[in-house]
Amino acid sequence: MSDTITLTLKVWRQRSADDAGHFEIYKAKDINVNMSFLEMLDVVNDTLTLNNQMPIAFDHDCREGICGSCGAMVNGVAHGPVSAVTLCQLHMRSFSDGDTIVIEPFRAKSLPIIQDLVIDRTAFDRIIAKGGYISVKTGSAPEANDTPIKKTNSDSAFDAAACIGCSACVAACPNASASLFVAAKVSHLALLPQGSTERKRVLNMVDQMDAEGFGGCSNAYQCEAACPKQIKVENIARMNREYTKQKLSR
Amino acid sequence: MAKLNSHEPSGPVDEKWQKHMFDMKLVNPSNKKKLKIIVVGTGLAGASASASLAELGYNVHTFTYHESGRRAHSIAAQGGINAAKNYCNDGDSVQRLFYDTVKGGDFRARESNVHRLAENSVKIIDHCVAQGVPFAREYAGLLDNRSFGGAQVSRTFYAKGQTGQQLLLGAYQAMMKEVERKRVTLHTRCEMMDVVIVNGKARGIIVRNLLTGQLEKHAADAVILATGGYGNVFYLSTNAMACNVTATWKAHKKGAYFANPCYTQIHPTCIPVKGDYQSKLTLMSESLRNDGRVWVPKDVGDHRSPDQIPEDKRDYYLERKYPSFGNLVPRDLASRNAKEQTDMGKGINGGLAVYLDFADAINQLGRETIEARYGNLFDMYQQITGTNPYESPMMIYPAVHYTMGGLWVDYNLQSSIPGLHVLGEANFSDHGANRLGASALMQGLSDGYFVIPNTIGHYFGSNSLEKVTTDAPEFEESLQAIQQKIDTLVGIKGSKTVDHYHRELGLLVWDKCGMARDKKGLEEALKRIPDIRAEFWDNVSIPGDAAFNQTLEKALRVADFLEFGELMCFDALHREESCGGHFRTEHQTKEGEALRNDEDFCFVSAWEYNEGKKPKLNTEDLTFKDVPLSQRSYK
Amino acid sequence: MKISTIQKKQIVGITGLAMVGFVLAHLSGNFLIFKGPEAFNAYAKFLHDLGGLLWVMRIGILGSFLLHIFFTIQLVIANKKARNARYYKYKNHRSSSSLATQLMPLTGTIIFIYIIFHLLDFTLAEKVGVIEGIDYGLFGLVVNVLGNPIHAAFYIIAMICVGLHMFHAFQSVFQTLGIMSERNQHQITMASQLLGIAITLGFSSIPVYILFNF
Repeated sequence: MSDTITLTLKVWRQRSADDAGHFEIYKAKDINVNMSFLEMLDVVNDTLTLNNQMPIAFDHDCREGICGSCGAMVNGVAHGPVSAVTLCQLHMRSFSDGDTIVIEPFRAKSLPIIQDLVIDRTAFDRIIAKGGYISVKTGSAPEANDTPIKKTNSDSAFDAAACIGCSACVAACPNASASLFVAAKVSHLALLPQGSTERKRVLNMVDQMDAEGFGGCSNAYQCEAACPKQIKVENIARMNREYTKQKLSR
Repeated sequence: MAKLNSHEPSGPVDEKWQKHMFDMKLVNPSNKKKLKIIVVGTGLAGASASASLAELGYNVHTFTYHESGRRAHSIAAQGGINAAKNYCNDGDSVQRLFYDTVKGGDFRARESNVHRLAENSVKIIDHCVAQGVPFAREYAGLLDNRSFGGAQVSRTFYAKGQTGQQLLLGAYQAMMKEVERKRVTLHTRCEMMDVVIVNGKARGIIVRNLLTGQLEKHAADAVILATGGYGNVFYLSTNAMACNVTATWKAHKKGAYFANPCYTQIHPTCIPVKGDYQSKLTLMSESLRNDGRVWVPKDVGDHRSPDQIPEDKRDYYLERKYPSFGNLVPRDLASRNAKEQTDMGKGINGGLAVYLDFADAINQLGRETIEARYGNLFDMYQQITGTNPYESPMMIYPAVHYTMGGLWVDYNLQSSIPGLHVLGEANFSDHGANRLGASALMQGLSDGYFVIPNTIGHYFGSNSLEKVTTDAPEFEESLQAIQQKIDTLVGIKGSKTVDHYHRELGLLVWDKCGMARDKKGLEEALKRIPDIRAEFWDNVSIPGDAAFNQTLEKALRVADFLEFGELMCFDALHREESCGGHFRTEHQTKEGEALRNDEDFCFVSAWEYNEGKKPKLNTEDLTFKDVPLSQRSYK
Repeated sequence: MKISTIQKKQIVGITGLAMVGFVLAHLSGNFLIFKGPEAFNAYAKFLHDLGGLLWVMRIGILGSFLLHIFFTIQLVIANKKARNARYYKYKNHRSSSSLATQLMPLTGTIIFIYIIFHLLDFTLAEKVGVIEGIDYGLFGLVVNVLGNPIHAAFYIIAMICVGLHMFHAFQSVFQTLGIMSERNQHQITMASQLLGIAITLGFSSIPVYILFNF
């Protein structure tokens, strides 16, 4: 296998939220297969910069798959062809010489495009603000080991809490639904005894999800396949269960 | 040269904080909402401070250059958080955590701060559990602990390899709760460009709205910086791409002293640099050294593949040099020795990497055991490098990952500018010259949840603050200066990328002010940095305008690294001793260990900005009453 | 009162379940066709003689049907709005239920059209069916209509749609109502898929029987 490959990139370019946007074709020459996907974009951007053209804007930060900043549709798949990784952890050895790669931003009405591949995910923050927390004043907590938590519950809570808020679930969902994101937080908190006194949170969070204009869940489970942290759709069932219980107990 | 006063309370070290809590002035609850506090940064320290101050009733305005508070780099911390709970009944106590941290910091931290940190550690765990942080548990449902470097007890709480993420989400959610209650106003995608000083006190900041490119003025009664460390001065580090020194550097230029910038921590087990295109480095948990054996080929120029190199042609240099600790020597030693081998040309293929070999462990314990212990790390390694560590040895190399230096603060976490407080990695206070594993998260949360909510009240209670709005001329002055700088940068339209200069600076400081430093190299760096800086300002290319422009964001950060790098080297040159992360080759024992000079350097170097001239030195003397000064040995 | 997306989904699900019940009852009645005209017509008469009760059932099923469609349309519109710009390239992740899931709007629409024809053909038609000069009533009507190969083909296609609809929808209801969990997920999904297949085969057996025997 040769160490370098040459690719054709078809990249969505959009100057601002109001701009209609269009695709541009770029050649990515002599790309080392050990590069990460974002490092490949860095190389393309260096060339653009030296030609005094605007580089492709994309959000990224930790580049180790945990901050949740990066993400794009790569050949129609959120975070690209390798499952359970974020875009920054996708490496160019997953592609072959001569490939054409279509790179588009995550698209949803509630996640408007800021520039190129950069999107506005503050809708997620607003949903969390509606109840994605356990209210405990600093200094008022009881001794940590006073409340044992069943290990299975604690482990399930952790699995749900692993969500990085990257919005790949919304991007992959045919309805641009944020159900998996909201369900992950609802589940994380509902599974812990500490979170059980504020169970009404689910009602406010779901209302906010609707108000933001996310679609509904049609149980297509595309979100689960796209999730880099492998959050399961059972969490959505748990959210629906929590929602129904709280609605009925009002 | 001035002697700095730490303002620490008198009395025995274990009573200082309690005594201080009582002695501090308070603010009437009804007055708190009239007091506006600016918090810059939403990592562990910034988010926890924002949440706690808002709970107290202050009017908090929080700023982050990220799109959301949850993206801060605290999220990437893997290992865990220390707390002196003694759940394992293995003899841990606040006193022992205090002792380990002071000693681990190679006697360059302030004892009183460290003791307070150890006291707060237990409350942090209580609070985080109450917030819903899903720490690892045992089958009986109680919290699990593991051991970590630099300690002989198991006091580390963890959430798989995502402890930082879970703690940050806890703090972020607490902050978002206050956003909903309208006690915190969150300004996302806003990067701090300057601190504004009015009548000698920090009274506001200038931020750049990254979406519009507009500069904004924000006035307040106090300013808190929680903006992290400066590891990215090295270009390649385990820091996130956007981590930068701008906020603390700008504060420094406005009068805040920068303490011990030469104390940088190099982590020994990271994935090596693969090529020029490399944008950042990835850390592999230190725990790998429990079962992996570190080696290099015995002969320079032996470029055979590892399975072709026979046992007698391998040099297990850590086991050879440190027979009792072997591969488990502390971080700084492991790092320095890897550098020594590669400097001799014995690195893998002559390059910058050494082997971390699990073949023996797999033979002895079986692949299943190794998979159970390190499965996720092996997967991550394979994902990034494309090679299978079960079949051929891992390649590792040290990388920058934490900076102990930062803005000087007193016991109240106030910098040398009244009203400007500094929390977390951004300050210098608790780790001395070397930070122990699982202590960074502890410090960020201690500062944010438990220290600043008390000490800031003391600041308000003991100062009468006149009303200041953004109409004060100091705001416009500062804004204009920044605007001019931005216009200049955008107007250069040169022929080199921002990264080109950042990389050049990074390589230089890594080479001269990295794992080992000497006078000659530091002097070279000090000569070279101004040249790179001048070239940057002459020839950097920033396409586009001053609106949303990621290249411009990067350029503004690199411009500050190009100034800060000089101070770091200057400090390293000045400190004629070796301690913790600062290793001057001129100062070592016969065995090659760090040789401290307690006679002449048992102090904090707090540098004062001196426009156009050499920085001025102020010092804070360090006294060690409760942990007597001693020499570390790991033979 | 504002109805949330989850509630709308739950209404669609519960009305869907009601219709599954109806479809199963309908199918079991239809099977009487294999016993011959007397049994089948007697069953029809029995239903007819229920009088008021029949109307209650009819209104119930009609109500379910209308609510099902009303909220589905609302949801579909909201879902389309939520993805305001289409992807140039979009790959569906393949899974065992993905085809049925993707085809839900299509199968739903075909079922809707089919039901109109079905009502015109049988429910609203005069129950006369002359076979070889003898009027066999409803039995005859069914045999005559489904004995037409084109008609039978349309019927079978419609029943495949019903089956596909169930294939996804039945388990989907349990997910939407929050009954699905890690423990029962496999069983519910299997049940849903078996139900879909059984309904298609069950209903299709009737035109096949008629085509080969009359």
